Amino acid sequence: MTRFLKITIAKCKRSLGLGIYVLGFASLLGSVNVSAADFWSLDWFEKDAPIEVTVNDAFINVHNAPGRGYPIFHVVERGETITLLKMHTDWIKIKTARGIEGWIKRKDVLLTLGPDGIAPEFADSKQADYLTDRFELGTAFGDFDGAQSFNVNLGYRFTKNLSAEVRLAQNTGQYSDSQILAFAILHQPFPDLRISPFIGIGAGTLKTMPSTTLVQAEDREDQLLQASIGAYIHITGRFFLRAEYANDYVLTSRNTNQEVNEWKLGFNIFF
Amino acid sequence: METRVQHILLAASLLSALTCFSTSVFAADEKEKNNDGELGKIITPDIERRHIKEADLDSEDFEVGLYTGVLNVEDFGSNMVAGVSFSYHITEDFFAQVNYGTSKTEKTSYELLSGGVELLTKDQRDLSYYNISLGYDFLPGQVYLSEKWHFNTSVYLVAGAGNTNFADKNYFTYNLGAGFKFYATDWLMLDLSMRNYSFEHELFGIAKKINNPESRLGISIFF
Repeated sequence: MTRFLKITIAKCKRSLGLGIYVLGFASLLGSVNVSAADFWSLDWFEKDAPIEVTVNDAFINVHNAPGRGYPIFHVVERGETITLLKMHTDWIKIKTARGIEGWIKRKDVLLTLGPDGIAPEFADSKQADYLTDRFELGTAFGDFDGAQSFNVNLGYRFTKNLSAEVRLAQNTGQYSDSQILAFAILHQPFPDLRISPFIGIGAGTLKTMPSTTLVQAEDREDQLLQASIGAYIHITGRFFLRAEYANDYVLTSRNTNQEVNEWKLGFNIFF
Repeated sequence: METRVQHILLAASLLSALTCFSTSVFAADEKEKNNDGELGKIITPDIERRHIKEADLDSEDFEVGLYTGVLNVEDFGSNMVAGVSFSYHITEDFFAQVNYGTSKTEKTSYELLSGGVELLTKDQRDLSYYNISLGYDFLPGQVYLSEKWHFNTSVYLVAGAGNTNFADKNYFTYNLGAGFKFYATDWLMLDLSMRNYSFEHELFGIAKKINNPESRLGISIFF
């Protein structure tokens, strides 16, 4: 491949302007070619280097299962080297030099030192660690103008105060069902509060599907503007409850626009 | 003559000693710089001084599972249900779960007794549901099968909401349930649970709130 490229480049060098152009392209191709070779030579089943840390506290308790109530059956002492195997919620599975396996609390890993002599970098379960550069995925249930609504939202938090999200809702009513797809921007003035209020504005489409029992009703699609106010309530770690009231303004094709009140309660998880 | 020879020899020996010394000093300098000598090999540790971050460690907080069981749809008989579940373990106590299941319903007693009456078409008898639920592991524990074997278990409560698609219509559905988890290994789990789905329909002309219990057995893996 490279040889072929070299020949091509040599040929193209005759016309200088084009030559430079092709050279750039060829080098790009060449680099792709090399990385492709690396890609194929990757050993997918190769074991990662073990993550070894040294205990830097008087001792760390080792539980026999990942849960606060499970018995402590072993203790690792200062200076002992342990291998971190995997993480499950707030627990880390470890293996001692003697081959004993057990679970330590996730925050206890901060009482160890990595090979570079620095404690491993782990976000602790405080709210502040989940406020920036995070994706959030949530669900909520509530009321949309008398219809029962089921919502899913996927958001990204740019700064502590500002996040953007995509919302999907399925509303199930007595006379009609509807679906909402909207995009919204949320602002949290006091993100550090445990109960942190937010305001948001959004826009999207509302698709209404009247019940088949009604005579000659047709599906229709309208634009929708949303203004919402609500609060995030921090429960633990990455887990937040979210309550929201939204005022929806449906831009209908009829003579008058429609105003809809919507409230919902759900939970959001930060990644 | 003798002294002259001695002088030459002395000068030569001095010169050689000097060069020898200077080269050895130079060599020692080199060794100190590069740690290349025998001693350097022993002292310099051959380990990677890596910094450990959270992302380096494999986390097993997601769970995907298959389940099958019996779903009783009020007035429409008890039938086999099969579904998939996807969970995220938020903390050691809470998990969020998405479920999707499908089932086929039977004819109502009225349809069977009346002979020819058909309330629903064949396709309308298909039922599917989805929901998002929040689970709470409120009784974590262990079972001891022998001197050697112990397994983690948990009794949990789960509640949520979603939609049921039945007879060409969506019905907003609440679900409430409880179950028992048995962890065969850290990453393989058996799940025996009961759920109740309740929604309101008007298939018989008037609004009727129905409860549909489901008992199911599932198997999940963590990743």
